[in-house]
Amino acid sequence: MEGFGVVLSFWVLAAVTLVSAGGVMVSRNLFHAVLFLITTFVGIAGFFVLLSADFIAMAQVIIYVGAIAVLVLFAILLTPHAGRDNGETRMLLPALLLSTCLGAVFIFVIVDADWRTISESPSVGVRELGSALLGTWALPFEIASVLLTAALVGAIMLVRSPEEEAEDALV
Amino acid sequence: MSDQVKSEPFILNIGPQHPSTHGVFRVKVKVDGERILDAEMVMGYLHRSIEKLAEERTYTQNIPFTDRTDYLASMSNNLGYVLAVEKLAGIDVPERGQAIRVIMAELQRLASHCMAVGAFANDTGAWQTPVMWTFREREKILDIFEMTSGARLTCNYMRIGGVAFDLRPEFEPMVRKILADFPPFIEQLEDMLSGNEIFRARSIGVGVLSPEMATNSSLSGPVLRSAGIAWDIRKADPYSGYEKYDFQIAVGYNGDCYDRFIVRLEEMRQSCKIIRQALDGLPGGPHSTQVPLALRPPAGEAYARVEGPRGELGYYVVSDEGPTPYRFHIRPPSFINLSALREITIGSTVADAIVILGSIDIVVGEIDR
Amino acid sequence: MTLLVFLASKNWYDIRDLSNISRVILEGLDRFLPSGIVYVVAVLLGFVASFLIFVLPSQLIVGVYGERKIIGRMQSRLGPNRVGPKGLLQPIADAIKLMQKEALTPKFADKAVMWVAPIIFVAPCVLLFAVIPFGPNMIIADIPVALLYFLAVSSIPVLAAFMAGWSANNKYSLYGAMRIVAMTISYEVPLVMALMGVVLFTGTLSLQEMVLWQKSNDIWVVFLQPLAFAIYFICVSAELNRTPTDIAEAESEIVAGYLTEYSGMKWGLFYGMDIGYAIAASAFAATVFLGGWSFFGLDKYIPPWAIFIAKTHLFYFLFIWTRGTLPRLRLDQLMTFAWKFMLPVALINLVVVATERMLWQELTDGKLTQGYLYLFAIVNIAMAVAIVYAWARMLGYSPKDETPMRPRLFNDARGYVPVVSEKGGR
Repeated sequence: MEGFGVVLSFWVLAAVTLVSAGGVMVSRNLFHAVLFLITTFVGIAGFFVLLSADFIAMAQVIIYVGAIAVLVLFAILLTPHAGRDNGETRMLLPALLLSTCLGAVFIFVIVDADWRTISESPSVGVRELGSALLGTWALPFEIASVLLTAALVGAIMLVRSPEEEAEDALV
Repeated sequence: MSDQVKSEPFILNIGPQHPSTHGVFRVKVKVDGERILDAEMVMGYLHRSIEKLAEERTYTQNIPFTDRTDYLASMSNNLGYVLAVEKLAGIDVPERGQAIRVIMAELQRLASHCMAVGAFANDTGAWQTPVMWTFREREKILDIFEMTSGARLTCNYMRIGGVAFDLRPEFEPMVRKILADFPPFIEQLEDMLSGNEIFRARSIGVGVLSPEMATNSSLSGPVLRSAGIAWDIRKADPYSGYEKYDFQIAVGYNGDCYDRFIVRLEEMRQSCKIIRQALDGLPGGPHSTQVPLALRPPAGEAYARVEGPRGELGYYVVSDEGPTPYRFHIRPPSFINLSALREITIGSTVADAIVILGSIDIVVGEIDR
Repeated sequence: MTLLVFLASKNWYDIRDLSNISRVILEGLDRFLPSGIVYVVAVLLGFVASFLIFVLPSQLIVGVYGERKIIGRMQSRLGPNRVGPKGLLQPIADAIKLMQKEALTPKFADKAVMWVAPIIFVAPCVLLFAVIPFGPNMIIADIPVALLYFLAVSSIPVLAAFMAGWSANNKYSLYGAMRIVAMTISYEVPLVMALMGVVLFTGTLSLQEMVLWQKSNDIWVVFLQPLAFAIYFICVSAELNRTPTDIAEAESEIVAGYLTEYSGMKWGLFYGMDIGYAIAASAFAATVFLGGWSFFGLDKYIPPWAIFIAKTHLFYFLFIWTRGTLPRLRLDQLMTFAWKFMLPVALINLVVVATERMLWQELTDGKLTQGYLYLFAIVNIAMAVAIVYAWARMLGYSPKDETPMRPRLFNDARGYVPVVSEKGGR
């Protein structure tokens, strides 16, 4: 990773991502937190572009920003007390403890890992990715799709009105 | 498990300023998610106390009031009122006057249905293309009204004993041109709307009116005929020479919004038929009988009804031998037709409520008077 | 896949290939700018050029002439004809009017989000033009996953619309915003499947390669896969909130839509980018389906970017046509249509296309000759009609059993006449 443009964009993206991640934690309005989360996702997509993983970058935007963020927004809307202050919680001490432990683990791993750099970036095109997904890794792919279908069916079952449930009851 | 996902009903205010062209009229709907639970109608935004004011004016001076109740069908309104007064005073109308009255009433029905059909298509979302087309045709009819009576909308043309002015020589060619243009235009509208999948999906099965509810609520007009009941005042209780003309009543199938739409289109076709017959057999002679300026009908009461474009328009006039009526009451078809709105709206969505309101074709001027 | 030799020369004044001019400018700038900055300048130049040459005139042409005058003629009235020649400068007048209007924000609305939402709405519409090939060398970023880029970027305006609806602190805007989100995400799925069918044949996700494939095989994808084109058109109409699926803008007849509290230039941005986004989607369709800048060999003589602009406007005319003619669907009808009709039809289309691709591979022993494509085109056109008809029948659509188009006629007032139900008659 050389070149002035690459370095500049790395630092800009890092700043944007970290500030948004901080904003997710700090903001008191739940909706603002979600918006900062979306910005974080977009920043991470930028990182993928920097690593020449263009397909994953686009997939990140489509899946995370386009679908998961919308899911989180719907979840906020359907929750009764979504307008409350995000900062009030009874779990302050356990959360602090847990985050300290996790932070320690991360820092330890980052410092102690052997960050090898490869000389040239591998070109994994979409074609190789596709054949790998459907060839070598077919089983996890199918399991993931079954999981998603189960989630879809479960969501539909949750919101059926009682009349529709009575229609399809196995009596 | 499913009753943990609850949504509370909230009250939505439709109106009094409508983006659709129905006037100042307010419906408070209680909505649960998408379904309507209850609809309460609030009227009276256009009340001008016409009925009270009419008690201070002579019978001929009341004719402009009737224009302004249903401002989209002024000729029919005039006709109903003068029929009531003629019944009260025992005045006969000459043949030519009756034929001219029929032509004018049917032309007015064409114009009013143009507006109703266009506004209904606009409510379903056809984005003003049908409105522009129907208004283009309506302009031709309004030109004829202006030529004959001096005004486009509030014509004030009928008089007690006949009509105000005789027809001008340019009248017949203009009407013949309209008679030639209208049936192809109605076919064009049918092509564009009646056969349109989206339009049918928006209006079939929406706002279904059962025949029992229709008769129980004393509905009239295209709303009644769409429910499958063949009833038309022009056939059941003919006035002004309607028994001489040959035409049919259009009756719908299920009582939904689509049926009201096609019934109105067919009525436009039948009106063209009536106008052609009346124009072909237009007799000569005087166009009205002479009536004293301050008419004093004998004491009594009279009720006359006409088949207006919106339904049975009735006038109830009570006289006490004075120059002004003692009581002047209008039976507005829109007001009575609206009483069924609540039942047929409950259970549909908010978008459907607008479509149903458009299909009933109300004019707030005659609801509030 | 080698680039064919064009008659467009490398001289800087040859406008048939606009990259000549930009190359001269950038090489001149490279001499005295620090290394690397020229790339940023190149991107800026590309954006500005594409915006000024393509988007802004297209906004004027289709935004006024198309949207308002052609729809006006469909409604038998003239459109705007006062401002400028034939009324073409109307958007400029509108923009000036909007800029000098006060952009009100309600007192309890979320001001930051309300201020940001139009920006997030404008950005993707502009970003989309980065990957669209205007000509053989005229593309700002020839990334190998351009189709995915289009899908990724087109899922961002949804969020902007939602933010706009939420921040207004108005029950009804929120109502409208949630409806748009629900509708948009359900129409994204058939869109992706239709485009996957195209990718199966062209074998690449990059837009420039798709145009070159269509050019070298002398066939446009719209003839090869008409069903995918139809699905794309309907789904993109839904994404853009255009009639007949414009419950966002026009449900504001009843419930105030997500744009209620917006006035002034904030609203102007939404409205302008409505057209801009539609132009981007049309440009994308022109590239993928209609052959991009190639026209069976004519693109050597006529500037290819002119051909491309003509195709974009042709596709945009389809949008205008359906807008002027069709009524609007209800929300639940839209959702039913998306999930029960579009999705299975798109799936069936994908299966058929995959089978054909495999057959193509087998029958030509991997050489993928061109003749089979014409056979596939004819088969696909027939199958498109058959699939749509068969699936509609399967879903229970039978037009003959429904209400006829004319009412019954009677000669006398006889009271209630029950409907005599005969099968298939009146």
